[in-house]
Amino acid sequence: MKKTLRVGAMVATAALATMTLASCGFGGGAGEGGGDASGSAVTLNLLVPSYSDNTQGLWEDVIAGFEDANPDIKVKLEVQSWDNLDSVITTKVSGNQAPDIYNGGPFAGFAADDLLYTTEEVVSPETFSDFQDTFIDNASVDGTAYGLPLIASARALFVNNDLLEQAGAKIPATWDELLESAKKVSALGNGIAGYGMPLGSEEAQAEAAVWLWGGGGTFGDAKTITVDTPENLVGAAFIQKMVTEGATQADAGSTDRSPLMDIFVQGKIGMQVGLPPTVGQIAKGNPDLNYTIAPIPTQDGSALTVGVADHLMAFKNDGTKQEAITKFFDYYFSPEVYVPWVQTEGFLPTTKSGAEQLNGEESLKPFLDALPAAEFYPSTNAKWSATDAAFKALFGQLAQGKDAAGVLAEIQAQSDAG
Amino acid sequence: MSKTTKQKTSIPAGAATGRPRSGTGGKDLLDALPWIAPVLALIVGVVFFPAGVMFYNSTRDISQSGIDKGPVGFDNYLEVFNFAYFWPIFGRTIVWVLAVVVLTVLLSLALAQLLNKAFPGRQLVRLAVIVPWAASVVMTTMVIYYGLEPYFGIINKFLVDVGLIDTPEGFGWTRNADTAFAWSIVIAVFVSLPFTTYTILAGLQGVPGDAIEAAKMDGASPSRTYFSIVLPQLRGAISVAVLINIINVFNSLPILKVMTGSIPGYDADTIMTMIFKYIQNQHKLDVASALSVVAFVIVIVIVAIYVKVVKPMKEV
Repeated sequence: MKKTLRVGAMVATAALATMTLASCGFGGGAGEGGGDASGSAVTLNLLVPSYSDNTQGLWEDVIAGFEDANPDIKVKLEVQSWDNLDSVITTKVSGNQAPDIYNGGPFAGFAADDLLYTTEEVVSPETFSDFQDTFIDNASVDGTAYGLPLIASARALFVNNDLLEQAGAKIPATWDELLESAKKVSALGNGIAGYGMPLGSEEAQAEAAVWLWGGGGTFGDAKTITVDTPENLVGAAFIQKMVTEGATQADAGSTDRSPLMDIFVQGKIGMQVGLPPTVGQIAKGNPDLNYTIAPIPTQDGSALTVGVADHLMAFKNDGTKQEAITKFFDYYFSPEVYVPWVQTEGFLPTTKSGAEQLNGEESLKPFLDALPAAEFYPSTNAKWSATDAAFKALFGQLAQGKDAAGVLAEIQAQSDAG
Repeated sequence: MSKTTKQKTSIPAGAATGRPRSGTGGKDLLDALPWIAPVLALIVGVVFFPAGVMFYNSTRDISQSGIDKGPVGFDNYLEVFNFAYFWPIFGRTIVWVLAVVVLTVLLSLALAQLLNKAFPGRQLVRLAVIVPWAASVVMTTMVIYYGLEPYFGIINKFLVDVGLIDTPEGFGWTRNADTAFAWSIVIAVFVSLPFTTYTILAGLQGVPGDAIEAAKMDGASPSRTYFSIVLPQLRGAISVAVLINIINVFNSLPILKVMTGSIPGYDADTIMTMIFKYIQNQHKLDVASALSVVAFVIVIVIVAIYVKVVKPMKEV
């Protein structure tokens, strides 16, 4: 009897300790979303990720302006880091506490579960027709748009002019030139790397796209995901060549993008693919850096950039807030509000009126020039989310000497499993 | 539920060995209920309810966005066990627990012995040992993680400056599965030391001075005294420390998450980081729940074996 008791007590202690982690997945089923609608006031819950240190302030300004114009609507802002965003939204949705408006990447999974308003239900026709058509296509599942393209970014090659000059290398247009230039820069020694290749979990899918698409491959479309194909293998094999011939920084497979970009800004990397906000990052961190923004080198030198659009989406929840959400979106996407917002964050606008206003912007020009050749992730495919996760988790193994075809096959398998 | 009640009510009976029992079990239970009800509620609330939810979730099909799509039986468990890396991850989890707990206990034994001696400044040294406990594990881990960072990490810089590493950007300790895992063990030992040392120190204070004196009188060498007199007396303290550490280390996520987070593939994962990857990266709450249940069962089995073999509560 006594012994049973003690074993029981031990087991209970073990159970208690185990629960601490395991119960993290439990979102709390109690409570209905945004229940503090006292009187006639409607409260909109807004969940957004932080793009930079400016993000929170920018949204607060938008909200202040909106609430002044619409005194009967309150907006409650929640800002999360990109790292946490996915798990926060999943937890909220599974706990019936989905925000009314959410700013995120993939939306197809939510659309498939019938949780979202279509874009046309929550913006006026004028606002809807102002979005650039390519972005609306990229926000549509089976011809229906569910996401409002919020910002766009394209990628380009950032080149450290001083390092290339020292090494006697030229700015590359093709892979072979890139390999040659990068090897020359790496040969400078002293910890300097020729090409900064971030295949770590942070954003491996982006670097994967740069290379696999640059070799003629694709990730597929809205219907099927195609990762394990001979076309993609070309790029994967060349990544391995870059690594084994010492053209990249050490441990490319587990280096994350943001810390590596800091090292580029410090002037220790010859070339690296960057984003529009990288311009601001250099201006702030190392204004003396002598750099050029060049097109991304591809296998045959043809133009390519990886376009990414983040989306705003509106959750239906109990269906009572459609009108308030529409008012908010129309206010937000009006050029007076939207353009300064995008400009401060350093991204590209997705509206026609916004693009017109920013046409003369010098630092954005290389990226705006690249946009016509932009290809997007197949983010309208419901399996994209799993594919994205698989790239993040597995793609870096290429740089650790794992068989290239095997890595692609493994990503395809995880993607197919959903 | 009823089992727990029974166990709980038997506490007074068990503790009161030697005294006559009252014999009226039902009335005892009723009298005791108001006293034990809060504890029962707590146990149900924080142990059985989440465990129940976890088990329930593990048998459901939960969509990526978190919507319950209905029951799937044990499919999620099949996915866990059919995952090609499950057994390596399982093995690594065992290595992780064994290495951390054994190293922690050995170091703590030495440290506690030192702190038990009277020397000037002992209070300060004791304080220094307990300070790491006050810092959050994530904070401690981050400090070391950034120290190991290539290019600007201070530990890497030190190793380069003293000539142990010849590449100017340092070594990618946290970029390679094996070295990242080894450093994680070092950190885990470091953060487990305070608790373990103090538990053993408490045990040392309980070793009767006259027993040691008697051993000295009999001419026993210091090591003989330690192994024959002191160590057996520490049995209670050590076994409790080991038990708590096993549970704690098995369930530890933050250290490995920070140290091995950027490494692709599954070569540095333990069961806990795998649960985290299922939730965070793959949005598979259902599979994560299934793996949590598996982890839960493993801990219970380990603890049950430990309790059976070591009998930590047995009086010396």
